[in-house]
Amino acid sequence: MGSLDAPISAENGSVHAAGHGKSPLIDVAARAAPADSTPDFDTSKRRRSSVLPLEVGTRVMCRWRDSKYHPVKVIERRRVHGSGPNDYEYYVHYTEFNRRLDEWVKLDQLDLDSVEAVVDEKVEEKGATGLKMTRHQKRKIDETHVEGHEELDAASLREHEEFTKVKNIATIELGRYEIETWYFSPFPPEYNDCLKLFFCEFCLNFMKRKEQLQRHMKKCDLKHPPGDEIYRSGTLSMFEVDGKKNKVYGQNLCYLAKLFLDHKTLYYDVDLFLFYVLCECDDRGCHMVGYFSKEKHSEESYNLACILTLPPYQRKGYGKFLIAFSYELSKKEGKVGTPERPLSDLGLLSYRGYWTRVLLDILKKHKGNISIKELSDMTAIKAEDILTTLQSLELIQYRKGQHVICADPKVLDRHLKAAGRGGLEVDVCKLIWTPYKEQS
Amino acid sequence: MSRLSFRPRPLDIHKKLPIVKSIKDFDDDEAPASTRNSQLLRIVPEVEHEAHVQHVPSKKAASEIPTPQFVYVDTYERDYSCTFAQPTSYLRARGARAEIGEFVEYDLDNEDEDWFSEFSEEMKSLTPEMFESLLFKLEVLDHKARERAGLITPTVGSPIPVLLRLETAMESLQAQAVKYTIIQSVYDYWKEKRQRWQKPVLRRLQPPPPVNDTNPYNVFRPREKAHRLHTRRMQRRENNVQSFEKLRQVRRNLDQAKSLLEALIKREEKKREVIESEVTLQRMQMKYKHETEFLEDNLALSGFTPFSSKFVSSEEEFFDSDDVMTNRLPRSRSTAVQNLHPYDTNLPVVPAVSSKQELKRRYVPHGWPHKLDPLEPVLLFTKPLLPDKLAMAGILPPDSITKNGVPAQPYKFRGRIGRGGRIIFDRWNSLVQTPIDCGNSYYMPPKPRPSTCN
Repeated sequence: MGSLDAPISAENGSVHAAGHGKSPLIDVAARAAPADSTPDFDTSKRRRSSVLPLEVGTRVMCRWRDSKYHPVKVIERRRVHGSGPNDYEYYVHYTEFNRRLDEWVKLDQLDLDSVEAVVDEKVEEKGATGLKMTRHQKRKIDETHVEGHEELDAASLREHEEFTKVKNIATIELGRYEIETWYFSPFPPEYNDCLKLFFCEFCLNFMKRKEQLQRHMKKCDLKHPPGDEIYRSGTLSMFEVDGKKNKVYGQNLCYLAKLFLDHKTLYYDVDLFLFYVLCECDDRGCHMVGYFSKEKHSEESYNLACILTLPPYQRKGYGKFLIAFSYELSKKEGKVGTPERPLSDLGLLSYRGYWTRVLLDILKKHKGNISIKELSDMTAIKAEDILTTLQSLELIQYRKGQHVICADPKVLDRHLKAAGRGGLEVDVCKLIWTPYKEQS
Repeated sequence: MSRLSFRPRPLDIHKKLPIVKSIKDFDDDEAPASTRNSQLLRIVPEVEHEAHVQHVPSKKAASEIPTPQFVYVDTYERDYSCTFAQPTSYLRARGARAEIGEFVEYDLDNEDEDWFSEFSEEMKSLTPEMFESLLFKLEVLDHKARERAGLITPTVGSPIPVLLRLETAMESLQAQAVKYTIIQSVYDYWKEKRQRWQKPVLRRLQPPPPVNDTNPYNVFRPREKAHRLHTRRMQRRENNVQSFEKLRQVRRNLDQAKSLLEALIKREEKKREVIESEVTLQRMQMKYKHETEFLEDNLALSGFTPFSSKFVSSEEEFFDSDDVMTNRLPRSRSTAVQNLHPYDTNLPVVPAVSSKQELKRRYVPHGWPHKLDPLEPVLLFTKPLLPDKLAMAGILPPDSITKNGVPAQPYKFRGRIGRGGRIIFDRWNSLVQTPIDCGNSYYMPPKPRPSTCN
């Protein structure tokens, strides 16, 4: 039915004509045609057949892991190996959620009736697209202004998202866990062709096949991170690894961490960093729970560069432990510290909670006047962070020509409750550590 | 609400801020519901739970926290053995793997495995471990060959050539107890792969991307140490003889400036000391004057003639009499005393009127009149001079000067220290034992109000 071809391509020409050859389109039309011999065939069928394969940028509803349909935007597509020329899978961004949930989906997860070619359609059939757009933009704005991404201007943010738009590794195996990854990580080009990586949980070498990992495990001589243990409490241990002395380990750790951190950069070498790796220990070895990295010498008084709790250990208070630990190190150094910006959404949340807990605990007990500087000296928290925390809780107010701190016990308790539990405590007397000194 | 229109002044982090323990202190003078906190408290009693939920700041974000997606690996317990025993002391790092030596850092990758499975169909004697070890050693040997040839590039720029030749590899790998043919096949395979990759296969030996490379897929650049030198400021501080000399010159200049300033400070200090001395001197003289008036008043009442020579002698002389003439010169009680000398050589008596001594005198008002010589005339503002002291200072009374030429004077002189520290020699009628008023001294007869003399 050659007659069908013309109207379809005319209707959607602006969407489909460019880019790839006409053959799939004709093919679809040809296949769809026999089913709809009657002139008034179902319009949705017509739509359905006409949109395939979906263009990058298309908005559509997609079935997520919660079995509900959510709006998505197609970021990328690729042919499925060993199937028909028209079979693609699509990399989609759930516009309601963080980029970490972007994933490759099969065609049957998409509701093709909801396809919108947003690129040139101003009239939204769903009416929700506008909302979706604003939500999407709002997320950007939130990231830009609230989460401290201000040093990423719009252009570099776009560039960043373009370069990292598609996750390369979908899952990793690390010790006992097989974990779904969140973000793109710039593994060496030799790893471009695989979706799953097998990490040795001790030296963090990564391999493409399980057999390679098993062979590696027979010879791997590590049972804990290759650094000094500086803290041990129960089964919890903290190791300090020098990026210069253990370059490959540091790089492996960065590759791994990037899979879960959006705005981490692997631009520079690991020489100038120390890695503090938190482990749970048992008779198989010390299993990495999370880590934070720290510049050996920070001109901006950063006491933490990157922080990550691996997904299987999340929501158990380890992140709060890592943050508290970074401030304990700053206290030992006699310096105030602050995390390097930008903070991720989860990072900001944890830090806000930590600052709130620490500061409000002091305010609750403190008698008499107190300056921000004194609070900073007591906690090693940078004065700016104290100010933003107290101001966002509206505890600093300007009355009768001067600033006062409001410390009504009831208000404080309420904020403290909202800030959540403190997580695992850092027992300072178990920290055996001297600040890093350059070896000459 | 006009209050809110004031722009608060910026907060000083060093300033102590009052802590207000009750929110009601705020609300009394505020419009209702002005802050979230006050709202918070008001709502609480009514609907405690709801209020709480509403004001959890993290609530919106919390909904976005993803449920971590992971599953357990069922082969884990087989893959990882239970051979770890935690020592009681904290674990210490050992050297890196590359330094330990024997560890085979290379893990076979997919194409190695594919090649191996094909190859081992013909040659059964090669194990994957041996294959791994051979590849690792070839990599290290090649790296060493490039090192010797001076071809190690700090950063990756152009393709890195293979330098290791089969013969060299053979020699080094003889100890491996592997058949020649196997080594040859592995070498050929490795060389082909290595040339295809255009970089070392072992990740540790791959050079980092150059600093100015902007490809985001390339990672772990060296930190821009070399880059920093390109800024103008760093260039100016080049480490050569010229800048060394420049810095030396700067140092010399600074040293000179420093010594100049130090001298200046010294001078100014001296100046201040001089002023202070003058002030002290004046004060003492004033005090002394009043003291004398006081004494005189007392004496006038009691009818005694004041001033035994012993009493008015200086404190130093008190000491001296105790110490049996150890030192005639005034002791350095204070800088003030010392500084007086250049101005007035006969002043050793003046510092006697220290406040301490003044106190002493006041405390013994009943004792001292008895020490006075009843024949001594009442001389205002005066102290008797000690002839031997005068002689030491080279001052002679007028009568002794003319002694040798002219016969004895019809009258004698009697010295005293007058106001302002002058030495005054009064002519002295030795017959009646009274001074002869010549009108050139400031001596005034003991009148009720001697203040007129000023």
